[in-house]
Amino acid sequence: MSKLGKKRKQFIFVALVVPMLLLIAFVVFPAIDLFRMSFTNWDGYSPEKELIGMANYVSMFQNKDLWMSLKNNAVYFFIHLFMIVVELAFAVLLTGKLRAAKFYKTMVFMPYIINGVAISYAFSYFFSPINGAFDAILSAVHLESLIRSWLSDPKIVNYVLAFVSLWRFSGYHIILFMAALQSIPQDQMEAAEVDGATTWQLFKYIQVPAIMLMVDFVLFDNIRGALQVFDIPFVMTAGGPGYASSTFTLYTIKTAFTFSNFGLASTMAVAIMFMIVIIYVVQNYLIHGLVLKDRRK
Amino acid sequence: MKKRIIASILTCALTASLFIGCGSTGGNASETPAAGTKEAPATENVETSEDDAASAASNEELSGTLTFAIWDNNLNDFIEENDMVGKFQEQYPNVDVEVEKIKDDSEYWNAMKMRASANQLPDIMFNKPFTLSRFKDYLIDLSGTQACANNELASGYALDGKVLGIPMTSGYEYVFYWKDMFEEAGVEVPTTWPEFEAAAKTLQDHFGKDNPDFMAIACGLKDEWPDYPYMEFMPALESANGQNWNTMASQDAPFAEGTDINKAYNKVYNLFTSGVLGKDPLGLGNDQVTSLFAAKSAAILALGDWGLQNIANGTDDISQLGTFYLPTRNTESDPYNVIVQGDSFMGVTTHSKNQEAAVAFVEWFYSEAWYPSYINYVSSASSMKNFPKDKDPVLAESDTLCPDKVLVMYDGGGDDFTAIQNETTFDYKKLGAQMMTEGFDLNAALDELNTKWAEARAKLGIQ
Repeated sequence: MSKLGKKRKQFIFVALVVPMLLLIAFVVFPAIDLFRMSFTNWDGYSPEKELIGMANYVSMFQNKDLWMSLKNNAVYFFIHLFMIVVELAFAVLLTGKLRAAKFYKTMVFMPYIINGVAISYAFSYFFSPINGAFDAILSAVHLESLIRSWLSDPKIVNYVLAFVSLWRFSGYHIILFMAALQSIPQDQMEAAEVDGATTWQLFKYIQVPAIMLMVDFVLFDNIRGALQVFDIPFVMTAGGPGYASSTFTLYTIKTAFTFSNFGLASTMAVAIMFMIVIIYVVQNYLIHGLVLKDRRK
Repeated sequence: MKKRIIASILTCALTASLFIGCGSTGGNASETPAAGTKEAPATENVETSEDDAASAASNEELSGTLTFAIWDNNLNDFIEENDMVGKFQEQYPNVDVEVEKIKDDSEYWNAMKMRASANQLPDIMFNKPFTLSRFKDYLIDLSGTQACANNELASGYALDGKVLGIPMTSGYEYVFYWKDMFEEAGVEVPTTWPEFEAAAKTLQDHFGKDNPDFMAIACGLKDEWPDYPYMEFMPALESANGQNWNTMASQDAPFAEGTDINKAYNKVYNLFTSGVLGKDPLGLGNDQVTSLFAAKSAAILALGDWGLQNIANGTDDISQLGTFYLPTRNTESDPYNVIVQGDSFMGVTTHSKNQEAAVAFVEWFYSEAWYPSYINYVSSASSMKNFPKDKDPVLAESDTLCPDKVLVMYDGGGDDFTAIQNETTFDYKKLGAQMMTEGFDLNAALDELNTKWAEARAKLGIQ
């Protein structure tokens, strides 16, 4: 074997083994340990823990506060899902020949690179009932009748928080869509234009099928993000009032650290993993199987 | 060639840093006797010199690095401004101290729990009364120390006869109020709960008519925890029993009608829902309401003694600021119960590899060399018998107004209570915030807690 061939084999071996070892050490092993812990009553600090069978799973299904928290996650999921269409439209607009497109791109991406906790604090003051900027804006335009208790009314608090989440993450999705749109071969687009395709036809028959992989990723990211949302409700409302704006992750963390029940919290973490997979499979089936009828094939 | 030059430079830098490191240690070592010489009086007799020499020699025998984990911003500032490590090393030259500041106490407990399970607790950690039983297996007994002997409260918090932490301060709870606002509204300082409710109502009516943002009582319920003077302490004040949580742990229906906690929470519920917390207390956090109180957009604020520093930071003039103790009694003929608790219990962990040095640090911390200057820096009261501290005039007013107070020493709850609390997910601070939500039914909530409580006791086998 030539020296180059030997080196190539060595490289392939190292490139495969090192990530695999890291994956096993930091993902697979902790996941197995998490699964094992979900069958124990570990309090998070005692040296000993007992196996308690399925008790944590039974307790999880009987916990109404937890399922109310999951309902709040659904608000984030559906609002973000609806906005994906708008984000895609923005991406197409910004990819086209728009005046000051670079400026808009920067502005759109900016919220994503700002620290999430800082954003949450800023919006806490923005929606504050006393000296809050949002109420001041409404008053300035004579819309005082619209002023609400933005962060303490259980009926609207989740929508306010989901709006902050949108403000933060929409730019990220737009940039992902733009990257995918820019990877479409220009000759393909130009050929279609020469053949007389309209902007809508270009979008429907060339751009959307070409970026379907990215759409899939954004949809998956939406499920994962919506189910794991934490920092915004944690800082802005601490899940309150009561559990009105609590989320699945927030409740899991409260279970682990406030109520010292790491066993039950592990069960919730296992549940969230399964939920992400199940929702993704269902969503994939609905979008590809029923709506698009798998046009990308 | 280029690589060799870079390697040589790096080697030189490493060697130089080693020399600098050694030099600095040498400096410390040489400073110690110098400081000792400076402090020693010229007329000192030979016997004392021998004792000092023996003590210094034994101090030098201790060595190692201690990790000291804290969350308190005021303590952190004082440590940095006053070179705590340097001062400690004047007496213990071979012991280094690494101060580890954690954001706040909630984060602190999270970090400590994880570190406890990983056998990596710091050498010296702090506890609150309600965390002592949680970490009791990881703390060594300090009952034989001088610091414990001199502490007013330490032995009162002993678990199974072991003193697991020395409280750094005595924590008193106050109701801060603006005297000029009380005067303008024609309100007297209340001494009973009905008077307190009436005063708050009068203040709200008086100032609220011109200022829709006004709060007679400021309470940042968005953060939930600021309701603790009511939700955490009032059951103990109502029953005059600092062990209230532990008593509840031995009952199947502690929230039933007629019980102390039921009475206390009904009082809190009636107060909170009477409109005296302003238009949207659930939309404001503690920092916001403290600022608003400092700006006189609120007339009353219930907080611990530490709250004085936060209020003073938000205003230039505290000449009209006063305090009284939360009057939870129904009539003037009832005893005026006042909560006192040990706060910030300094303990040495079983994970410490230098336990002897860590105990020496605790002794030093509570000695003349450090504690008096620290306790005078903070607004909290001293917990040490040998270093009494006069209260700040603002805080002292509450004692003048209430000469007949009965102190109730608060216990955060033992093992049984903590186990039931975890099992039932009973969160009194959250319950206080929930009282302000639409459709909240206190009786239904307390009934549900009773059911869960009895089930938890049966499940956990608690008698």
